[in-house]
Amino acid sequence: MTAQKASISSRPGRQRRLARRQAALLRLSTAIAAAHEETEVYQSVVNGLHDEALGYNFLGLFLLDPETGDRVLQASVGWPDVPENWRVHRGEGLSERALRDGQLHYTADVRRESQYLASLASGSEVDVPLRVNGDTIGVLVVESSEPNAFGEEDFEILTAAANQASIAIGRARLLAEERRRADEHKALLDTMSDLSSELELSKVLQAVLERAVTLLGVTGGEVAIYEETNRELVVVASQNIGKDSTDTRLKLGEGAMGVVAESQEPLIIPSYHEWLGQSEQYADVLVHSVMAAPLLIGRRLVGAIATVHSDPERIFNKEDLRLLNMFAPQAAIAVENARLYTEAQKQRQYFQALVRNSPVAIVTLDLAEKIVNCNPGFEQLFGYTQDEVIGRYIDPLIATEATRSEALAYTKEALDRPIHGIGQRRRKDGTLVDVEILGVPVILEGERVGILAIYHDITELLQARREAEAANTAKSQFLASMSHELRTPLNAIIGYSEMLQEEVADLGHQEFTGDLEKINTAGRHLLSLINNILDLSKIEAGKMDLHLESFNVKAMVEDVVTTASPLVTKNGNRLAVEYGSDLGSMYADLTKLRQMLLNLLSNAAKFTEQGTITLAVDRRTELEDRRVMLVFSVADTGIGMTAEQMGKLFEAFSQAEASTTSKYGGTGLGLAITRRFCHLMGGDVQVESEPGIGSKFTIRLPAAVTVAGQPAAE
Amino acid sequence: MSRILLVEDNEMNRDMLSRRLTRKGYEVTMAVDGREGVEMAKQGGYDLILMDMSLPEIDGWEATRQLRAAEETRSIPIIALTAHAMAGDREKALEAGCDDYDTKPIELERLLSKMEGLLNK
Repeated sequence: MTAQKASISSRPGRQRRLARRQAALLRLSTAIAAAHEETEVYQSVVNGLHDEALGYNFLGLFLLDPETGDRVLQASVGWPDVPENWRVHRGEGLSERALRDGQLHYTADVRRESQYLASLASGSEVDVPLRVNGDTIGVLVVESSEPNAFGEEDFEILTAAANQASIAIGRARLLAEERRRADEHKALLDTMSDLSSELELSKVLQAVLERAVTLLGVTGGEVAIYEETNRELVVVASQNIGKDSTDTRLKLGEGAMGVVAESQEPLIIPSYHEWLGQSEQYADVLVHSVMAAPLLIGRRLVGAIATVHSDPERIFNKEDLRLLNMFAPQAAIAVENARLYTEAQKQRQYFQALVRNSPVAIVTLDLAEKIVNCNPGFEQLFGYTQDEVIGRYIDPLIATEATRSEALAYTKEALDRPIHGIGQRRRKDGTLVDVEILGVPVILEGERVGILAIYHDITELLQARREAEAANTAKSQFLASMSHELRTPLNAIIGYSEMLQEEVADLGHQEFTGDLEKINTAGRHLLSLINNILDLSKIEAGKMDLHLESFNVKAMVEDVVTTASPLVTKNGNRLAVEYGSDLGSMYADLTKLRQMLLNLLSNAAKFTEQGTITLAVDRRTELEDRRVMLVFSVADTGIGMTAEQMGKLFEAFSQAEASTTSKYGGTGLGLAITRRFCHLMGGDVQVESEPGIGSKFTIRLPAAVTVAGQPAAE
Repeated sequence: MSRILLVEDNEMNRDMLSRRLTRKGYEVTMAVDGREGVEMAKQGGYDLILMDMSLPEIDGWEATRQLRAAEETRSIPIIALTAHAMAGDREKALEAGCDDYDTKPIELERLLSKMEGLLNK
């Protein structure tokens, strides 16, 4: 039925018909208003108009595809054999006009129109534009099989319906947008919460990728992290791209992710297989189009993400890019957090392994000095299990009665500063263990939180030290008693041989004198050896004490010269003595100084014949440290030494050459003792020598010798 | 003729030194330990005492202190004889009240000069 036919009805019939039409239009309005989805709106528009009371039998609603300009059928009624989503191309069909100018167009007889497409052979058509926010978004097409079927009333009804539909579409679109935004927001929130709860890197990246794939509605994708050390991307998550690309390494600029990583800009590749930037490593993937974005924190690259469509019909658009741009920063932060966490985790594990596998006992205490944790080394050393010690005070647990107060003091101190000590502690079974103890305050983020203590079992070390000390003491005692025991018979040998010499002289048996003298000399040599060995062993045992006293330097030297004179002049040598001015007195070990000077003079005499031996003494102030020193030198004009011979001179039992011992005698200990005596007194002995010219030994001693760093009492 | 009291536990040393001193013209009497040395000295008649320091019963240091403490022996010169010049022995001997000090093995000339020095005072 058409409006024209209705207009010729009778009045009461017309009244009734009008009421029915009103009701139909009300239903239409209600249905449109009730529609939430756009598609519901389309359907309710065409269904509502296709009402017996209105008499519109052939209806279609097209939407404009803004990219192509085509019209795509959304809903229709009365049109047979029309495909779903029927696409009417741009420039075709009558309804094009309403789209172009946004006005209602009426074609009274479609046969006159070349553009007419529909299946009806004849009839009329009304095209009403659908306008949302001033833009024409589609067109409502109403047809009749008869020409001239529509009039003003129809135009009003259809325009009103189109307006209502437009409003409903606008509202549905807003709603959809809202919903989509809400979904996006939720997806991002989900991603972030997933990502922050999952900190293991690979899981995080897998989650990131899954979110991106869901959010963008893509086929698949991959995520890579950037390794700064070698400037490469490493694929760590891969999903549905036709191959598992995990562990693929990409240089900057290589492939889609390499390009975005380098340019730091996202990229859409509509047809991947035609793209020239393809990486060889991706020649076998099943993708059609690609969208990739760098993962950045500020300007710093942390990775890249790529999403793919394998369906040729699906093409990435600006909307997808917008979504990816929203998503990428979240993903970047998640990746970075996960990376930092993983790194921290690795370090933590590393240190935990160190502590766990350390053979020394390590224990951590809280500020109350209660045990928080201990390692297997602690369990092993002290015999307690970790469960037994956690929460207990450390000192009552392992300190002994004797070391309790010392242990408490250590612990208190370790709260503030590192401590180091040696002590004895008690194991669970009551046995004692000697330990080296190290304690340091544990400071986290500037706040003191407890103590880390390390116990190192030194029982064996201490035992070894005690044994070594005992052995050394035994050696010293042995040498001392040996020396004494040897000396007694030696005294007899020396004494009797001397006495016999006197007797044979008195009795006139001179033929025995030579032999007796040899016995005597050998005895004396043996005695000096023994004495020197005793001295050395005392020095080495640290038992050579200094007996410091004040004495007049010149008087001491004169005394030495008197004693040495017979010895020095024996080989036809001359002894010259040079005294510096103002020698004054010195505070030192007189006996040892005399012994040293006599030794040097005796050496000089031994290696010099028909020459001069010069003993010089001087008092000087050192330039470096202003110390006042007394310098004693003994120079000879004897055989001298080579540099090589001088090298070993001050070592025990070394004369310049073994052969010299037989020729010149001596124990080879005198200079070793001299040097040690000098060191004991804070001085030194040096030698200069030239073969064939002579040697010069110089002893330097502080005018005031100190013992163990204590200033000398003047 | 000076009369010398030689306090020495070692038989060979005693024999040697006494014979050598006798030959040099001294009259030598011998004691074998510190206690005997002090007793004999107190009986009087000695011009000089040669005192070994490491003696049984009471040692030379203690014997010297006792001799110095007793009125009748206070002024008799004492020469301490010790083994090898142990650090501090000399000071120790003089501190104990000895007048001089010499080390063993005895060098007769050196000892004689120390003895003569004290005897001629």
